[in-house]
Amino acid sequence: MTSGPGVAAAARRLRHFHEDPAVIARWQAWTRPLLTRLTPGRRRALLALAALYVVVKRPLKDMAPALDLRSPLSALAVILLCFAIVVAAYVAARRFASLPAVVRARPQIWIHALFWVLVLLGWLAPKGSGVTTLILPGLVLALPFLLWRIGYLLMSGQRGRMAGTRFSDHLLYLYPAYGGTNTPYGKGIDHLGRHEARSDEALARSQLAGLKLLALAWIYDRALELMAGLVHGQPGAPLHAFGLGLPRLEALMPAGAQAPWLVAWAAVYAGLVSDVLKLAVRGHEIVGVLRLFGFNVFRNTYKPLLAPSLVEFWNRYHYYFKELLVEFFFFPTYVRYFRRSPRLRMLAAALAAAGLGNLYYHLLQQDAFMLTGSWAAVQPWLATRSVYCLLLAIGIYVSMRREQRRRGATATAPAGWPIRLRRIAGVWTFFALIGIWGEGGGASFGQRALFVLGLFGLR
Amino acid sequence: MRQRHRERVLEFLRTIQKPDRPLDAVAETDSLVESGLIDSLALLEIVTFLEAQYRIDFAAIGLEPEQLTSVSGILDLIEREAR
Repeated sequence: MTSGPGVAAAARRLRHFHEDPAVIARWQAWTRPLLTRLTPGRRRALLALAALYVVVKRPLKDMAPALDLRSPLSALAVILLCFAIVVAAYVAARRFASLPAVVRARPQIWIHALFWVLVLLGWLAPKGSGVTTLILPGLVLALPFLLWRIGYLLMSGQRGRMAGTRFSDHLLYLYPAYGGTNTPYGKGIDHLGRHEARSDEALARSQLAGLKLLALAWIYDRALELMAGLVHGQPGAPLHAFGLGLPRLEALMPAGAQAPWLVAWAAVYAGLVSDVLKLAVRGHEIVGVLRLFGFNVFRNTYKPLLAPSLVEFWNRYHYYFKELLVEFFFFPTYVRYFRRSPRLRMLAAALAAAGLGNLYYHLLQQDAFMLTGSWAAVQPWLATRSVYCLLLAIGIYVSMRREQRRRGATATAPAGWPIRLRRIAGVWTFFALIGIWGEGGGASFGQRALFVLGLFGLR
Repeated sequence: MRQRHRERVLEFLRTIQKPDRPLDAVAETDSLVESGLIDSLALLEIVTFLEAQYRIDFAAIGLEPEQLTSVSGILDLIEREAR
Protein backbone atom coordinates (compact mmCIF):
# COMPACT_ATOMS: atom_id res chain seq x y z
CA MET A 1 0.00 0.00 0.00
CA THR A 2 1.31 3.48 -0.89
CA SER A 3 2.02 5.72 2.10
CA GLY A 4 0.68 9.29 2.42
CA PRO A 5 4.08 10.95 1.88
CA GLY A 6 4.64 8.62 -1.10
CA VAL A 7 1.38 9.77 -2.71
CA ALA A 8 2.27 13.41 -2.03
CA ALA A 9 5.72 12.94 -3.59
CA ALA A 10 4.17 11.24 -6.65
CA ALA A 11 1.66 14.09 -7.02
CA ARG A 12 4.48 16.63 -6.75
CA ARG A 13 6.47 14.74 -9.40
CA LEU A 14 3.43 14.72 -11.68
CA ARG A 15 2.83 18.46 -11.16
CA HIS A 16 6.47 19.26 -11.92
CA PHE A 17 7.03 16.65 -14.63
CA HIS A 18 8.33 19.37 -16.96
CA GLU A 19 11.26 20.00 -14.60
CA ASP A 20 12.19 16.34 -14.13
CA PRO A 21 15.60 15.77 -15.80
CA ALA A 22 14.61 12.21 -16.77
CA VAL A 23 11.43 13.41 -18.51
CA ILE A 24 13.33 16.22 -20.24
CA ALA A 25 15.98 13.75 -21.46
CA ARG A 26 13.28 11.39 -22.76
CA TRP A 27 11.46 14.24 -24.53
CA GLN A 28 14.76 15.30 -26.10
CA ALA A 29 15.38 11.75 -27.28
CA TRP A 30 11.88 11.47 -28.83
CA THR A 31 11.91 14.81 -30.55
CA ARG A 32 15.62 15.22 -31.32
CA PRO A 33 15.26 15.46 -35.14
CA LEU A 34 12.66 18.19 -34.69
CA LEU A 35 14.41 20.01 -31.84
CA THR A 36 17.73 20.28 -33.61
CA ARG A 37 16.08 21.66 -36.73
CA LEU A 38 13.97 24.16 -34.82
CA THR A 39 16.71 26.67 -34.12
CA PRO A 40 15.65 29.96 -32.49
CA GLY A 41 15.93 31.70 -35.89
CA ARG A 42 13.70 29.13 -37.60
CA ARG A 43 11.13 29.22 -34.80
CA ARG A 44 10.93 33.00 -35.07
CA ALA A 45 10.70 32.72 -38.85
CA LEU A 46 7.78 30.28 -38.55
CA LEU A 47 5.88 32.63 -36.26
CA ALA A 48 6.69 35.60 -38.52
CA LEU A 49 5.41 33.68 -41.53
CA ALA A 50 2.20 32.83 -39.72
CA ALA A 51 1.96 36.50 -38.72
CA LEU A 52 1.37 37.38 -42.38
CA TYR A 53 -1.98 35.61 -42.13
CA VAL A 54 -2.79 37.58 -38.97
CA VAL A 55 -1.84 40.83 -40.73
CA VAL A 56 -4.96 40.30 -42.85
CA LYS A 57 -7.18 38.32 -40.50
CA ARG A 58 -6.96 40.43 -37.34
CA PRO A 59 -7.98 43.84 -38.77
CA LEU A 60 -10.85 42.15 -40.63
CA LYS A 61 -12.10 40.70 -37.34
CA ASP A 62 -11.71 43.97 -35.43
CA MET A 63 -13.30 46.21 -38.05
CA ALA A 64 -16.20 43.88 -38.82
CA PRO A 65 -18.70 45.78 -36.63
CA ALA A 66 -18.03 49.04 -38.49
CA LEU A 67 -17.12 48.25 -42.04
CA ASP A 68 -19.16 46.70 -44.72
CA LEU A 69 -16.76 43.92 -45.57
CA ARG A 70 -18.47 43.57 -48.91
CA SER A 71 -16.51 46.66 -49.76
CA PRO A 72 -13.20 44.88 -50.19
CA LEU A 73 -11.29 47.98 -51.23
CA SER A 74 -11.86 49.82 -47.96
CA ALA A 75 -11.08 46.65 -45.97
CA LEU A 76 -7.86 46.22 -47.93
CA ALA A 77 -7.00 49.88 -47.32
CA VAL A 78 -7.41 49.43 -43.55
CA ILE A 79 -5.22 46.30 -43.57
CA LEU A 80 -2.49 48.07 -45.55
CA LEU A 81 -2.69 51.23 -43.44
CA CYS A 82 -2.39 49.20 -40.21
CA PHE A 83 0.65 47.45 -41.64
CA ALA A 84 2.13 50.76 -42.82
CA ILE A 85 1.73 52.16 -39.30
CA VAL A 86 3.54 49.11 -37.89
CA VAL A 87 6.38 49.58 -40.41
CA ALA A 88 6.59 53.30 -39.56
CA ALA A 89 6.72 52.45 -35.83
CA TYR A 90 9.50 49.94 -36.51
CA VAL A 91 11.52 52.53 -38.42
CA ALA A 92 10.91 55.05 -35.62
CA ALA A 93 12.07 52.51 -33.00
CA ARG A 94 15.22 51.69 -35.00
CA ARG A 95 16.06 55.37 -35.42
CA PHE A 96 14.84 56.32 -31.98
CA ALA A 97 17.88 58.47 -31.20
CA SER A 98 17.23 60.64 -34.24
CA LEU A 99 13.56 61.31 -33.42
CA PRO A 100 12.64 64.83 -32.25
CA ALA A 101 13.37 65.34 -28.54
CA VAL A 102 9.70 65.87 -27.69
CA VAL A 103 8.84 62.48 -29.18
CA ARG A 104 11.81 60.75 -27.50
CA ALA A 105 10.71 62.11 -24.15
CA ARG A 106 7.16 60.70 -24.39
CA PRO A 107 6.91 58.17 -27.26
CA GLN A 108 3.91 56.40 -25.74
CA ILE A 109 1.92 59.59 -25.42
CA TRP A 110 2.71 60.45 -29.04
CA ILE A 111 1.49 57.16 -30.43
CA HIS A 112 -1.77 57.47 -28.50
CA ALA A 113 -2.11 61.14 -29.46
CA LEU A 114 -1.79 60.22 -33.15
CA PHE A 115 -4.40 57.52 -32.68
CA TRP A 116 -6.80 60.03 -31.09
CA VAL A 117 -6.30 62.39 -34.02
CA LEU A 118 -7.64 59.58 -36.22
CA VAL A 119 -10.52 59.02 -33.81
CA LEU A 120 -11.39 62.72 -33.86
CA LEU A 121 -11.22 62.81 -37.67
CA GLY A 122 -13.61 59.87 -37.69
CA TRP A 123 -16.02 61.74 -35.42
CA LEU A 124 -15.85 64.94 -37.46
CA ALA A 125 -15.90 63.46 -40.96
CA PRO A 126 -19.22 63.97 -42.73
CA LYS A 127 -21.23 60.79 -42.77
CA GLY A 128 -21.65 59.26 -46.18
CA SER A 129 -20.02 56.75 -48.39
CA GLY A 130 -16.75 58.56 -49.08
CA VAL A 131 -13.48 56.70 -48.76
CA THR A 132 -12.60 58.55 -45.54
CA THR A 133 -15.81 57.57 -43.81
CA LEU A 134 -15.30 53.97 -44.85
CA ILE A 135 -11.66 53.69 -43.83
CA LEU A 136 -11.48 55.77 -40.64
CA PRO A 137 -13.96 53.64 -38.66
CA GLY A 138 -12.04 50.51 -39.66
CA LEU A 139 -8.77 52.01 -38.44
CA VAL A 140 -10.33 53.19 -35.18
CA LEU A 141 -11.50 49.65 -34.45
CA ALA A 142 -8.43 47.80 -35.73
CA LEU A 143 -5.66 49.92 -34.20
CA PRO A 144 -6.29 49.34 -30.45
CA PHE A 145 -5.07 45.77 -30.94
CA LEU A 146 -1.75 47.17 -32.20
CA LEU A 147 -1.39 50.21 -29.92
CA TRP A 148 0.11 48.51 -26.86
CA ARG A 149 2.24 46.24 -29.04
CA ILE A 150 3.61 49.29 -30.85
CA GLY A 151 4.17 50.67 -27.35
CA TYR A 152 6.49 47.76 -26.54
CA LEU A 153 8.21 48.21 -29.91
CA LEU A 154 8.92 51.88 -29.18
CA MET A 155 10.03 50.95 -25.67
CA SER A 156 12.66 48.66 -27.26
CA GLY A 157 13.88 51.60 -29.33
CA GLN A 158 13.88 53.89 -26.31
CA ARG A 159 15.95 51.39 -24.32
CA GLY A 160 18.39 50.89 -27.18
CA ARG A 161 17.40 47.26 -27.64
CA MET A 162 16.64 47.27 -31.36
CA ALA A 163 20.15 46.27 -32.43
CA GLY A 164 20.29 42.66 -33.57
CA THR A 165 16.55 42.40 -34.18
CA ARG A 166 14.88 42.23 -37.57
CA PHE A 167 11.45 43.42 -38.62
CA SER A 168 10.27 39.80 -38.73
CA ASP A 169 11.24 39.38 -35.04
CA HIS A 170 8.82 42.14 -34.14
CA LEU A 171 6.08 40.79 -36.38
CA LEU A 172 5.68 37.75 -34.17
CA TYR A 173 4.21 39.75 -31.27
CA LEU A 174 2.70 42.61 -33.30
CA TYR A 175 0.55 40.09 -35.18
CA PRO A 176 0.64 37.05 -32.88
CA ALA A 177 -0.22 33.83 -34.69
CA TYR A 178 -0.65 32.20 -31.28
CA GLY A 179 -3.71 34.37 -30.66
CA GLY A 180 -4.37 37.03 -28.12
CA THR A 181 -6.29 40.06 -27.08
CA ASN A 182 -5.36 43.73 -27.02
CA THR A 183 -3.01 42.75 -24.16
CA PRO A 184 0.28 41.52 -25.59
CA TYR A 185 0.89 38.17 -23.87
CA GLY A 186 4.64 37.75 -23.58
CA LYS A 187 5.07 41.54 -24.03
CA GLY A 188 7.53 42.65 -26.75
CA ILE A 189 10.63 41.11 -28.26
CA ASP A 190 12.85 42.22 -25.33
CA HIS A 191 10.91 40.08 -22.89
CA LEU A 192 10.32 37.20 -25.30
CA GLY A 193 14.00 37.17 -26.29
CA ARG A 194 15.15 37.05 -22.68
CA HIS A 195 13.09 33.91 -22.12
CA GLU A 196 13.91 32.23 -25.43
CA ALA A 197 15.39 28.72 -25.36
CA ARG A 198 18.93 28.68 -26.80
CA SER A 199 19.69 24.97 -26.54
CA ASP A 200 17.90 21.72 -27.30
CA GLU A 201 17.56 21.03 -23.59
CA ALA A 202 16.10 24.48 -22.88
CA LEU A 203 13.68 24.04 -25.80
CA ALA A 204 12.61 20.62 -24.50
CA ARG A 205 12.07 22.11 -21.04
CA SER A 206 10.05 24.98 -22.52
CA GLN A 207 7.93 22.64 -24.67
CA LEU A 208 7.14 20.37 -21.73
CA ALA A 209 6.13 23.43 -19.71
CA GLY A 210 3.96 24.47 -22.67
CA LEU A 211 2.31 21.06 -22.86
CA LYS A 212 1.58 21.28 -19.16
CA LEU A 213 -0.18 24.62 -19.66
CA LEU A 214 -2.20 23.28 -22.60
CA ALA A 215 -3.25 20.30 -20.48
CA LEU A 216 -4.22 22.63 -17.63
CA ALA A 217 -6.20 24.80 -20.07
CA TRP A 218 -8.13 21.71 -21.17
CA ILE A 219 -8.81 20.69 -17.56
CA TYR A 220 -9.96 24.21 -16.58
CA ASP A 221 -12.21 24.31 -19.63
CA ARG A 222 -13.84 21.04 -18.53
CA ALA A 223 -14.14 22.48 -15.00
CA LEU A 224 -15.97 25.49 -16.46
CA GLU A 225 -18.37 23.18 -18.29
CA LEU A 226 -18.93 21.20 -15.11
CA MET A 227 -19.49 24.42 -13.21
CA ALA A 228 -22.03 25.52 -15.83
CA GLY A 229 -23.91 22.24 -15.34
CA LEU A 230 -23.58 21.55 -11.62
CA VAL A 231 -23.66 25.09 -10.26
CA HIS A 232 -25.77 26.99 -12.80
CA GLY A 233 -27.81 24.07 -14.21
CA GLN A 234 -27.18 25.36 -17.73
CA PRO A 235 -29.05 23.20 -20.26
CA GLY A 236 -26.67 21.11 -22.35
CA ALA A 237 -23.82 21.37 -19.84
CA PRO A 238 -22.58 18.15 -18.17
CA LEU A 239 -24.65 16.95 -15.18
CA HIS A 240 -27.03 19.91 -15.54
CA ALA A 241 -29.88 17.69 -14.35
CA PHE A 242 -28.23 17.67 -10.92
CA GLY A 243 -27.39 21.38 -11.06
CA LEU A 244 -28.11 23.82 -8.26
CA GLY A 245 -29.62 26.27 -10.71
CA LEU A 246 -27.69 29.22 -9.30
CA PRO A 247 -28.29 32.22 -11.56
CA ARG A 248 -25.22 33.82 -13.11
CA LEU A 249 -24.19 37.16 -11.63
CA GLU A 250 -25.05 39.15 -14.76
CA ALA A 251 -28.53 37.62 -14.79
CA LEU A 252 -29.08 38.35 -11.10
CA MET A 253 -27.87 41.94 -10.93
CA PRO A 254 -30.88 43.51 -12.69
CA ALA A 255 -32.98 42.25 -9.76
CA GLY A 256 -31.09 44.76 -7.58
CA ALA A 257 -31.82 44.36 -3.89
CA GLN A 258 -34.62 41.88 -4.65
CA ALA A 259 -32.11 39.09 -5.31
CA PRO A 260 -32.25 36.49 -2.50
CA TRP A 261 -29.38 37.19 -0.11
CA LEU A 262 -27.67 33.79 -0.04
CA VAL A 263 -28.16 33.24 -3.77
CA ALA A 264 -26.70 36.68 -4.46
CA TRP A 265 -23.55 36.00 -2.43
CA ALA A 266 -23.13 32.57 -4.04
CA ALA A 267 -23.50 34.13 -7.51
CA VAL A 268 -20.90 36.79 -6.67
CA TYR A 269 -18.30 34.21 -5.62
CA ALA A 270 -19.19 31.87 -8.49
CA GLY A 271 -18.70 34.82 -10.86
CA LEU A 272 -15.18 35.33 -9.53
CA VAL A 273 -14.23 31.66 -9.87
CA SER A 274 -15.69 31.53 -13.36
CA ASP A 275 -13.78 34.70 -14.44
CA VAL A 276 -10.50 33.31 -13.12
CA LEU A 277 -11.01 29.98 -14.88
CA LYS A 278 -11.93 31.64 -18.20
CA LEU A 279 -8.87 33.87 -18.05
CA ALA A 280 -6.65 30.94 -17.13
CA VAL A 281 -7.93 28.87 -20.07
CA ARG A 282 -7.24 31.64 -22.59
CA GLY A 283 -3.90 32.62 -21.07
CA HIS A 284 -2.67 29.03 -20.72
CA GLU A 285 -3.50 28.34 -24.36
CA ILE A 286 -1.56 31.38 -25.56
CA VAL A 287 1.43 31.01 -23.24
CA GLY A 288 1.37 27.24 -23.85
CA VAL A 289 1.87 27.80 -27.59
CA LEU A 290 4.56 30.43 -26.94
CA ARG A 291 6.41 27.87 -24.82
CA LEU A 292 6.12 25.24 -27.55
CA PHE A 293 7.99 27.71 -29.74
CA GLY A 294 10.68 28.09 -27.09
CA PHE A 295 9.55 31.32 -25.43
CA ASN A 296 9.42 30.08 -21.85
CA VAL A 297 7.64 33.13 -20.45
CA PHE A 298 5.61 33.39 -17.24
CA ARG A 299 2.05 32.19 -17.14
CA ASN A 300 -0.65 34.80 -17.46
CA THR A 301 -2.63 33.32 -14.56
CA TYR A 302 -0.96 31.59 -11.63
CA LYS A 303 -3.17 30.38 -8.75
CA PRO A 304 -4.75 33.78 -8.00
CA LEU A 305 -7.44 32.15 -5.87
CA LEU A 306 -4.72 31.18 -3.38
CA ALA A 307 -3.31 34.71 -3.16
CA PRO A 308 -3.10 35.99 0.42
CA SER A 309 -3.22 39.70 -0.50
CA LEU A 310 -4.94 41.94 -3.04
CA VAL A 311 -1.68 42.97 -4.66
CA GLU A 312 -0.61 39.33 -4.95
CA PHE A 313 -3.95 38.41 -6.55
CA TRP A 314 -3.59 41.26 -9.04
CA ASN A 315 -0.08 40.05 -9.85
CA ARG A 316 -1.24 36.50 -10.50
CA TYR A 317 -4.68 37.03 -12.04
CA HIS A 318 -3.89 38.63 -15.41
CA TYR A 319 -0.11 39.02 -15.36
CA TYR A 320 0.42 40.55 -18.80
CA PHE A 321 -2.38 43.07 -18.37
CA LYS A 322 -0.93 44.03 -15.00
CA GLU A 323 2.52 44.35 -16.60
CA LEU A 324 1.06 46.58 -19.32
CA LEU A 325 -0.49 48.87 -16.70
CA VAL A 326 2.70 48.86 -14.62
CA GLU A 327 5.02 49.65 -17.54
CA PHE A 328 2.85 52.18 -19.35
CA PHE A 329 1.17 53.89 -16.39
CA PHE A 330 2.50 52.93 -12.96
CA PHE A 331 6.26 53.39 -13.42
CA PRO A 332 6.04 56.59 -15.51
CA THR A 333 3.84 58.15 -12.80
CA TYR A 334 5.95 56.78 -9.95
CA VAL A 335 9.26 58.14 -11.24
CA ARG A 336 7.87 61.57 -12.20
CA TYR A 337 5.37 62.76 -9.63
CA PHE A 338 5.22 63.35 -5.85
CA ARG A 339 8.75 62.08 -5.34
CA ARG A 340 9.00 63.76 -1.96
CA SER A 341 5.93 62.05 -0.57
CA PRO A 342 6.28 58.23 -0.65
CA ARG A 343 2.64 57.51 0.17
CA LEU A 344 1.18 60.03 -2.24
CA ARG A 345 3.61 58.83 -4.87
CA MET A 346 2.44 55.25 -4.54
CA LEU A 347 -1.23 56.27 -4.41
CA ALA A 348 -0.86 58.39 -7.55
CA ALA A 349 0.88 55.53 -9.38
CA ALA A 350 -1.79 53.01 -8.29
CA LEU A 351 -4.56 55.38 -9.41
CA ALA A 352 -2.79 56.01 -12.71
CA ALA A 353 -2.37 52.29 -13.45
CA ALA A 354 -5.24 50.31 -11.91
CA GLY A 355 -7.56 53.32 -12.14
CA LEU A 356 -7.05 55.57 -15.15
CA GLY A 357 -4.91 53.21 -17.24
CA ASN A 358 -7.33 50.36 -16.71
CA LEU A 359 -10.29 52.58 -17.63
CA TYR A 360 -8.53 53.94 -20.72
CA TYR A 361 -7.51 50.46 -21.93
CA HIS A 362 -11.13 49.31 -21.79
CA LEU A 363 -12.49 52.57 -23.22
CA LEU A 364 -10.61 51.80 -26.44
CA GLN A 365 -12.79 48.71 -26.75
CA GLN A 366 -16.10 50.58 -26.50
CA ASP A 367 -16.82 50.38 -30.21
CA ALA A 368 -19.96 52.53 -30.26
CA PHE A 369 -18.21 55.40 -28.49
CA MET A 370 -14.97 55.07 -30.46
CA LEU A 371 -16.92 55.26 -33.72
CA THR A 372 -19.34 58.06 -32.90
CA GLY A 373 -17.99 59.91 -29.86
CA SER A 374 -21.47 59.69 -28.43
CA TRP A 375 -21.47 60.36 -24.68
CA ALA A 376 -24.78 58.52 -24.34
CA ALA A 377 -23.16 55.42 -25.86
CA VAL A 378 -20.44 55.27 -23.25
CA GLN A 379 -21.88 56.90 -20.12
CA PRO A 380 -23.53 53.80 -18.55
CA TRP A 381 -20.40 51.72 -19.10
CA LEU A 382 -18.11 54.52 -17.91
CA ALA A 383 -20.07 55.01 -14.69
CA THR A 384 -19.87 51.37 -13.60
CA ARG A 385 -16.34 50.76 -14.85
CA SER A 386 -15.08 53.87 -13.06
CA VAL A 387 -16.31 52.47 -9.76
CA TYR A 388 -14.52 49.19 -10.51
CA CYS A 389 -11.26 50.93 -11.40
CA LEU A 390 -11.36 53.29 -8.43
CA LEU A 391 -12.04 50.48 -5.94
CA LEU A 392 -9.33 48.34 -7.53
CA ALA A 393 -6.75 51.14 -7.38
CA ILE A 394 -7.53 51.95 -3.75
CA GLY A 395 -7.53 48.26 -2.81
CA ILE A 396 -4.16 47.73 -4.45
CA TYR A 397 -2.69 50.83 -2.80
CA VAL A 398 -3.85 49.74 0.65
CA SER A 399 -2.58 46.20 0.03
CA MET A 400 0.82 47.50 -1.15
CA ARG A 401 1.14 49.63 1.98
CA ARG A 402 0.27 46.67 4.22
CA GLU A 403 2.70 44.44 2.37
CA GLN A 404 5.40 47.09 2.69
CA ARG A 405 4.95 47.20 6.46
CA ARG A 406 5.13 43.42 6.63
CA ARG A 407 8.47 43.30 4.85
CA GLY A 408 11.89 43.89 6.23
CA ALA A 409 11.16 41.93 9.37
CA THR A 410 13.51 39.07 10.08
CA ALA A 411 12.29 35.98 8.29
CA THR A 412 9.39 34.54 10.23
CA ALA A 413 7.55 31.27 9.96
CA PRO A 414 4.80 31.36 7.33
CA ALA A 415 1.34 32.19 8.68
CA GLY A 416 -0.72 29.17 9.79
CA TRP A 417 -3.65 27.86 7.73
CA PRO A 418 -6.40 29.64 9.68
CA ILE A 419 -4.71 33.00 9.09
CA ARG A 420 -3.95 32.20 5.46
CA LEU A 421 -7.52 31.07 4.86
CA ARG A 422 -8.86 34.25 6.40
CA ARG A 423 -6.61 36.34 4.15
CA ILE A 424 -7.56 34.34 1.06
CA ALA A 425 -11.26 34.72 1.92
CA GLY A 426 -10.75 38.48 2.22
CA VAL A 427 -9.11 38.61 -1.21
CA TRP A 428 -11.95 36.56 -2.76
CA THR A 429 -14.56 38.81 -1.21
CA PHE A 430 -12.88 42.02 -2.40
CA PHE A 431 -12.44 40.88 -5.99
CA ALA A 432 -15.86 39.22 -6.11
CA LEU A 433 -17.51 42.44 -4.91
CA ILE A 434 -15.68 44.81 -7.25
CA GLY A 435 -16.47 42.33 -10.02
CA ILE A 436 -20.09 43.50 -9.70
CA TRP A 437 -18.93 46.83 -11.20
CA GLY A 438 -16.57 45.30 -13.74
CA GLU A 439 -18.97 42.65 -15.01
CA GLY A 440 -20.67 43.18 -18.38
CA GLY A 441 -24.36 42.51 -18.81
CA GLY A 442 -27.26 44.87 -18.96
CA ALA A 443 -27.55 45.95 -15.34
CA SER A 444 -27.64 49.70 -14.78
CA PHE A 445 -25.55 51.61 -12.27
CA GLY A 446 -28.53 51.86 -9.92
CA GLN A 447 -29.34 48.15 -10.16
CA ARG A 448 -25.75 47.27 -9.34
CA ALA A 449 -25.73 49.68 -6.39
CA LEU A 450 -28.97 48.16 -5.05
CA PHE A 451 -27.57 44.68 -5.58
CA VAL A 452 -24.51 45.57 -3.46
CA LEU A 453 -26.72 47.06 -0.75
CA GLY A 454 -28.82 43.90 -0.81
CA LEU A 455 -25.72 41.78 -0.21
CA PHE A 456 -25.20 43.62 3.07
CA GLY A 457 -28.87 43.46 4.05
CA LEU A 458 -29.40 47.18 3.30
CA ARG A 459 -32.58 47.15 1.25
CA MET B 1 34.10 50.60 -5.06
CA ARG B 2 31.81 47.98 -6.61
CA GLN B 3 32.26 45.79 -3.55
CA ARG B 4 31.20 48.67 -1.29
CA HIS B 5 28.12 49.31 -3.44
CA ARG B 6 27.38 45.60 -3.38
CA GLU B 7 27.39 45.46 0.42
CA ARG B 8 25.18 48.53 0.59
CA VAL B 9 22.70 47.10 -1.93
CA LEU B 10 22.56 43.72 -0.19
CA GLU B 11 22.07 45.42 3.15
CA PHE B 12 19.15 47.33 1.64
CA LEU B 13 17.65 44.26 -0.03
CA ARG B 14 17.55 42.56 3.36
CA THR B 15 15.27 45.33 4.62
CA ILE B 16 12.68 44.68 1.91
CA GLN B 17 12.82 40.91 1.69
CA LYS B 18 9.57 39.03 1.91
CA PRO B 19 9.18 37.46 5.39
CA ASP B 20 8.99 33.99 3.90
CA ARG B 21 11.75 34.54 1.30
CA PRO B 22 14.89 35.51 3.19
CA LEU B 23 17.85 36.83 1.26
CA ASP B 24 20.75 34.77 2.52
CA ALA B 25 22.98 33.89 -0.37
CA VAL B 26 22.10 35.46 -3.69
CA ALA B 27 24.85 35.46 -6.29
CA GLU B 28 25.46 38.75 -8.08
CA THR B 29 23.99 37.55 -11.36
CA ASP B 30 21.09 35.53 -9.90
CA SER B 31 17.68 36.74 -10.95
CA LEU B 32 16.01 38.24 -7.91
CA VAL B 33 12.66 37.53 -9.60
CA GLU B 34 13.31 33.82 -9.89
CA SER B 35 14.73 33.69 -6.37
CA GLY B 36 11.36 35.04 -5.23
CA LEU B 37 12.77 38.20 -3.68
CA ILE B 38 11.63 40.77 -6.20
CA ASP B 39 8.15 41.70 -7.31
CA SER B 40 6.67 45.00 -8.48
CA LEU B 41 6.53 46.23 -4.91
CA ALA B 42 10.16 45.44 -4.12
CA LEU B 43 11.10 47.09 -7.39
CA LEU B 44 9.58 50.36 -6.18
CA GLU B 45 11.57 50.13 -2.97
CA ILE B 46 14.75 49.62 -4.99
CA VAL B 47 13.92 52.63 -7.17
CA THR B 48 13.37 54.81 -4.10
CA PHE B 49 16.61 53.51 -2.55
CA LEU B 50 18.64 54.26 -5.69
CA GLU B 51 17.11 57.72 -6.02
CA ALA B 52 17.88 58.57 -2.41
CA GLN B 53 21.28 56.94 -2.02
CA TYR B 54 22.78 57.45 -5.47
CA ARG B 55 20.65 60.34 -6.79
CA ILE B 56 19.70 58.34 -9.88
CA ASP B 57 16.98 60.20 -11.78
CA PHE B 58 14.68 57.56 -13.28
CA ALA B 59 12.43 60.24 -14.73
CA ALA B 60 15.34 61.25 -16.94
CA ILE B 61 16.86 57.86 -17.78
CA GLY B 62 13.67 55.82 -17.83
CA LEU B 63 12.87 52.88 -15.62
CA GLU B 64 13.82 49.53 -17.09
CA PRO B 65 12.64 46.89 -14.60
CA GLU B 66 14.97 44.23 -16.00
CA GLN B 67 17.99 46.31 -14.97
CA LEU B 68 16.91 45.93 -11.38
CA THR B 69 16.25 42.20 -11.32
CA SER B 70 19.78 41.16 -10.37
CA VAL B 71 22.36 42.54 -8.00
CA SER B 72 24.83 42.89 -10.88
CA GLY B 73 22.23 44.83 -12.91
CA ILE B 74 21.68 47.20 -10.00
CA LEU B 75 25.43 47.65 -9.53
CA ASP B 76 25.94 48.32 -13.26
CA LEU B 77 23.23 50.96 -13.10
CA ILE B 78 24.83 52.58 -10.06
CA GLU B 79 28.22 52.68 -11.79
CA ARG B 80 26.67 54.19 -14.89
CA GLU B 81 24.22 56.68 -13.45
CA ALA B 82 25.14 57.54 -9.84
CA ARG B 83 25.92 61.21 -9.28
